[in-house]
Amino acid sequence: MMKLIVNGEEKTVKDNPSMPLLWALRDELEMTGTKFGCGVGICGACTVHVDGQATRACITPLSAVAGKEIRTIEGLAIMDENGRQTLHVVQQAFIDEQVPQCGWCMSGQIMIAAAFLEENPAPSSEEIVEAMGRNYCRCGCYVRIFNAVEKAAQKVSMKTIQESTT
Amino acid sequence: MSETNATASVENEEKQPRRLSRRQFLIGAGLAGGGLALGFLFGVPAARLRIAESTNEGGGGFFSQSNDPLAWFEVTPDSGVTLYVPKVEMGQGVHTALKQIAIEELGIPWDDLTVVQGTTSLGPQDSSGTQGSTSVSSSFTPLSEAAATLREMLRAEAALQLGQPAGTLVLQGAGFATDAGAAITFGEIVANKQGEWEVPEEPAPLKAAGSYDTVGRPIPREDIPGKVTGEIVYGYDVKLPGMKYGAVLRPPTIEGRMITVDTTAAEQMPGVIKVVVDDDFAGVVAESRVEAWAAVNELQAEWDEGKLWRQEELEALVTAGGPGGVTVQKEGDADRLLSDGSAITAEYRTPLMVQTPLEAQAALADVRQDSARIWVSTQAQSRVQELVSEATGLNQEAIEVVPTYLGGGFGRKLGDVAVEAARLSQGAGVPVHLGWSRPEELKHGFFAPMSHHRLQAVVGDDGRIQAMKHELGSGDILFAFFSPMLTAVFGADVGVTRGARIEYGVPDVETVVWRRKLPVKTGTWRGLGFLPNVFAVESFMDELASSIGMDPLQFRQLNLPDTDRGRRIRAALEAAAEGANWGDPLENGRAQGLACAYDYGTAVAAVAEVSVGESGKIRVHHITSAMDCGLVINPDGARAQIEGNAMWGVSAALQEEVRIENGRIALNNFETYPLLTMKEAPTVQAILVDTGGKEPSGVGEPPIGPIGAAIANAVFALTGERLRRLPLAKSS
Repeated sequence: MMKLIVNGEEKTVKDNPSMPLLWALRDELEMTGTKFGCGVGICGACTVHVDGQATRACITPLSAVAGKEIRTIEGLAIMDENGRQTLHVVQQAFIDEQVPQCGWCMSGQIMIAAAFLEENPAPSSEEIVEAMGRNYCRCGCYVRIFNAVEKAAQKVSMKTIQESTT
Repeated sequence: MSETNATASVENEEKQPRRLSRRQFLIGAGLAGGGLALGFLFGVPAARLRIAESTNEGGGGFFSQSNDPLAWFEVTPDSGVTLYVPKVEMGQGVHTALKQIAIEELGIPWDDLTVVQGTTSLGPQDSSGTQGSTSVSSSFTPLSEAAATLREMLRAEAALQLGQPAGTLVLQGAGFATDAGAAITFGEIVANKQGEWEVPEEPAPLKAAGSYDTVGRPIPREDIPGKVTGEIVYGYDVKLPGMKYGAVLRPPTIEGRMITVDTTAAEQMPGVIKVVVDDDFAGVVAESRVEAWAAVNELQAEWDEGKLWRQEELEALVTAGGPGGVTVQKEGDADRLLSDGSAITAEYRTPLMVQTPLEAQAALADVRQDSARIWVSTQAQSRVQELVSEATGLNQEAIEVVPTYLGGGFGRKLGDVAVEAARLSQGAGVPVHLGWSRPEELKHGFFAPMSHHRLQAVVGDDGRIQAMKHELGSGDILFAFFSPMLTAVFGADVGVTRGARIEYGVPDVETVVWRRKLPVKTGTWRGLGFLPNVFAVESFMDELASSIGMDPLQFRQLNLPDTDRGRRIRAALEAAAEGANWGDPLENGRAQGLACAYDYGTAVAAVAEVSVGESGKIRVHHITSAMDCGLVINPDGARAQIEGNAMWGVSAALQEEVRIENGRIALNNFETYPLLTMKEAPTVQAILVDTGGKEPSGVGEPPIGPIGAAIANAVFALTGERLRRLPLAKSS
């Protein structure tokens, strides 16, 4: 058996170093929030964070993530001690802007946006397009994905300013 | 054209308001704990009945228009009001829109009504499936009437129980109150009911248009919160205890059929539980998906490859002309004027395209000795029930099909994957989940057919079109799913002809369609024939405008007829032109093009703003898209559909094409069929046009229609080069 750290918890999966992280998450750990799109790293539906970096889980073998912090869409919101959920600023922005249609690509879109804003809390429009242009949305929600990431960025930078002045 | 014959009038049919008669309501019995279940039958417009009857008799599959109940309300003592709907949620927001319609007439608070996805065993049945932009438009009047009837039945019973005149009861929460301070909830009313419920003789009064509280508001979609947390369960996500994973062997060529298969190597692969071979079907069941995919590659099959078709052969096949054309529109005598030598002629082609929803086909089947349950990402659960029954030998009633949320449909989620999952489950004796890979999704489903269009017209010096003819050749779309008897009843494939009619006021006009059987599987793709037809007709309109040096907007305004439909198209066209500042100077190196059309009761128009890079690469910067879809149920949802259709249109116009090489689909994964990304995506201005429509019409597909032509017309305005093939590619 292999140990993985997923959303801060230690999980056990079958010892198969070449198994793509995507299928270990979805089928062994039954965490199906991370989606399968193409299996070759093009569409980005399977995006998760590995040590904070946006990573295509469908082409990442388990051997590459041993001992690293894996975060999935299920672990992006914050749970307080009373079990109350506070959505991540990107998740909230995707609701506020009514972004998803079918929703299949949205875990990946949200995970890539969250990692991107962590790195670059005050992106230009071009930087948003460059970062988000790596993921497919077949329903064509691009207008709203852009707006939501821009709104989330505004909130993130606001928070950064507030924190630095207090 | 002596061999042509008249075709079904479905396309010409204007929407009629449909009132439900008393006998069209169904009252359910036997609810646990007492309660009231009220359903209603799908009111089929009279003009359609003949076709509906033939469809049902002829085995029209999921496109049949039967008298199924369309929705089902339940009121129970404990759980409030529930609305069961057969329409599936695939991102179009249908459950929220139907809830808005129901709440409007029920008059209860939003949170007191729960919308539940029905299954083939739970709630109403709907053999027509979720397709064709019809879910909201076909449901509006009957659902409003059912909700109003339910409200009045409850009011009458409440009056009886409270001993007060019904007229003195006012809605309060999910219940009624009187001036005197008495109150009763719906739950109490149904719990205390004695005897049988009866539908009142008089139809319940409906709210007047313009006095709506819930309809017409941008209510947030109920499915969205679960889609940003990953909680929503799609067909690819469903699990059962003890479930295994399947994979199916695919033929190498489009006509390929398996002759024999050697399973020895596959059976030795790790994790393999069973190799299932049945006639020309072969698949494996394994402990994990990765193991199933690895093992299926080890099946050693011998194939009859069939004819090794080439791309050019398919294009030749689809070309319009010769015997067998079916006239679907004819006024006057177009041929007489067109043969005098002054006619302008142009030909257009569109390619095979694939839907490729981002959630690939997926189903979980648990087939037992005498029953089965199927969870599947599908637009057509009744069709799945039929097909699984045929494949397994089980009675349809013994099979429950549970539609899940869909990770995109676009015409592709007709549920054939469920049949494969059922065969594997039956063969292996365990529940089997089958999820397609991306290469399977790209190569082994069915495609938007190729089309060929020949357009001819004579334009007078005054700019009026005097004669026009549209000759259209296409592979099957709806006919691909119809029996031979049904295709005879319809005459022409009404999927192929969507948008093919000339909507302009032309005295001598004709549209003729040739059905072309292609060796590759074809079928439904978002909007069916609408994008290809409007690409051809509206590109041609621009060519005509250009031939007499008239502005494309002015030329269309001049030629649109002064009919209700013509006025609505004109309103959409003018709204798009105004929104896009048509005619104003643009940034250097850019130009605009426009197009308009009519589909499923909805008028649409778009303006595209483009530039062309040094390498000839076309860039669409902005789309202004206007839509008159009658009464708008949820304006934000309607705008989302306009935006999504704009992206689909741009993607199709610029980069989507499936090619055939050596008898094979020349695709592998997304590197061979790249989708539009945010980098190529235009900004979109979505405009809802209000011309006073009292009922909703289609929203999910119509706005895709004009996009391809608007882009081609913009490229012509910029470069003077007329591109007559999709995907659009500059010659230099």
